[in-house]
Amino acid sequence: MIRAGEIAESFRIAIESVRVNLLRSILTTAGVVVGVVLVVLMGWTINGLDAVWEQTISIIGKDMIYVDKWNWTGGGNWRLMEARKDISLAQVEQYVTRAEAPELAMPTVRSWGASVTVGNQRLGCSAMGVTFEYGMTPAGEIADGRFFNAIEDEQAADVVVVGHNVAKTLFPGGNAVGQTLKINQRPLRIVGVVEKRGFLFMDFIDNQVFVPLFTFRALYGFQGRSFSVAIKAGNEAMLNTVRDEAVGLMREIRNVPPARDDDFSINEMKAFDEQAKNIRLYIWIVGIGLTLLSFVVGSIGIMNIMFVSVTERTKEIGVRKAIGAKRSSIAIQFLIESALLCLTGALISFPISQLIVGSVQWSAVHLFDFEAATVVSPFIPLDLLGIAAVVAVIVGLAAGLVPALKAALLNPVEALRFE
Amino acid sequence: MTSQPPIISIEHISKMYEMGDEQVFALRDVSLTIRQGEYVALMGPSGSGKSTLMNMLGCLDTPTSGRYEFNGVNVNEMDDDDLAGIRNREIGFVFQTFNLLPRATALSNVELPLVYAGMKTEDRHRRAAEVLASVGLAERSGHRPNELSGGQRQRVAIARALVTQPSIILADEPTGNLDSKTGQEIMALFDELYKQGNTVILVTHEEDIARHARRIVRLRDGLIESDSPNGDAA
Repeated sequence: MIRAGEIAESFRIAIESVRVNLLRSILTTAGVVVGVVLVVLMGWTINGLDAVWEQTISIIGKDMIYVDKWNWTGGGNWRLMEARKDISLAQVEQYVTRAEAPELAMPTVRSWGASVTVGNQRLGCSAMGVTFEYGMTPAGEIADGRFFNAIEDEQAADVVVVGHNVAKTLFPGGNAVGQTLKINQRPLRIVGVVEKRGFLFMDFIDNQVFVPLFTFRALYGFQGRSFSVAIKAGNEAMLNTVRDEAVGLMREIRNVPPARDDDFSINEMKAFDEQAKNIRLYIWIVGIGLTLLSFVVGSIGIMNIMFVSVTERTKEIGVRKAIGAKRSSIAIQFLIESALLCLTGALISFPISQLIVGSVQWSAVHLFDFEAATVVSPFIPLDLLGIAAVVAVIVGLAAGLVPALKAALLNPVEALRFE
Repeated sequence: MTSQPPIISIEHISKMYEMGDEQVFALRDVSLTIRQGEYVALMGPSGSGKSTLMNMLGCLDTPTSGRYEFNGVNVNEMDDDDLAGIRNREIGFVFQTFNLLPRATALSNVELPLVYAGMKTEDRHRRAAEVLASVGLAERSGHRPNELSGGQRQRVAIARALVTQPSIILADEPTGNLDSKTGQEIMALFDELYKQGNTVILVTHEEDIARHARRIVRLRDGLIESDSPNGDAA
């Protein structure tokens, strides 16, 4: 049985020992410090990515489904998708008329290689032909001005709603609304600027311009373009119903025989979660690998210094045994010292980690103008500190085990004789 | 004295070490009884086996053969932790080189056996302070060993040996690192402890020191050469 007094005594000895050999202790814990810093940085990075990702998909709309010829996440066979028949406007309109489950559904069409000009400044972007209802989806939320209305839509008016980056690049003064830009020599009046929504992986979203569907036809034509259906389910709970209905209706509309696969793809924001998960997984693998490596190196250092400590204090161990210390008392004493050494390392690494995290976040936001970083916390999460401290203590106990056993098993006569 | 019960009773004890292929006997078939309240000196030149015998008596080591009873309990059959318990409760060691913990105060050093005995902190402080006062070091309890003289250090060590009220006090050349005047003071302290009824065993090679004891056991080549009352003793 280990008694409280012995434990307290062990802590006293351990603190004393770390204090007396302060420089040696700090140097010894270098490996542990690196390990803990890595754990904390990895955790912070993953948390940060999650925050950015959450922001991205919540802005674009978790309840949005896009029926498209292509699978956006890059899954599926590219050749088979290439061979699919384009989705025509008529098919989309049929779906929109017949669909009952979604809150909103509308056709969209896109030209990737578009460009807009203001004066003699030309900006490459992607152009989308949409209906006025697009302004009611999260993707069409307006920061300045308004989305084009039903009448402008119907009349194929020469109006345009521009993405955040387009407005920022062409009108750095911020007065985009009411100005005119040209697409294919055709002047279009800017009625609104869309809220900034592009984050990290989806920057292109802010590089778009939106025009009424038939204005799009006038600019680019519908020939050879595949439409897609933008569907707003209304809420996340409706996603399954809406998806099932969309699949059924589109198969019917596109005459897909029962045995054949869908000749269209259902794209959901949620599907991008898979990619985010993969990224997170890679960070974990790399991070855990580096962390393990540094902890292995660190624990070898700790083990080494603990062997030195046992040897230095052989005589003391002999004296303690002579006056009645049991094997367990001696072992506990050295285990506590080793754990405390690692905990010291962990404590040293916390301010270091905070400094790194804080300056990375600050420079990302202020120096590199990396807006995604604004949603990332500039502080290390407390639970990570706890985990790191616990891991450090476990590493310390593991590294100290063999030296502690060596000390505990010393023969008292020989230990006392040691000079 | 013979009426007192034996504390230490060893019968036909041998201790053998293997040095390479050779077997070396540090003790050969030694028998010895020490009773409560005795003041015994173990004497002999180096290599006589007196250190081995002392380690055996102090339960730091176990014999290769023979029987050792401490207060009627067979020590041979004890494991390491039981031996640690016996050392903690029954034996107070005093070493030639004091063997105090250098970074602990005098009081903490004296307290240490009580820590391993599991005594509560307040009781520990009180008991250790008492014993430290009894060896005349009440004023020095907050000092570390390097702030104390040799004689004071040995007094702290004696206080540490006494603090658990052990059955025997086992002193290994307790004056070996002290000048003769201080040595005499320390021996006076041992004499005093004996008079108070403690059982004291001195291990020494100095006749002057051994003369303080009431019984002198002389060893040579691992055998007891003589075991007789000390006629000189006062």
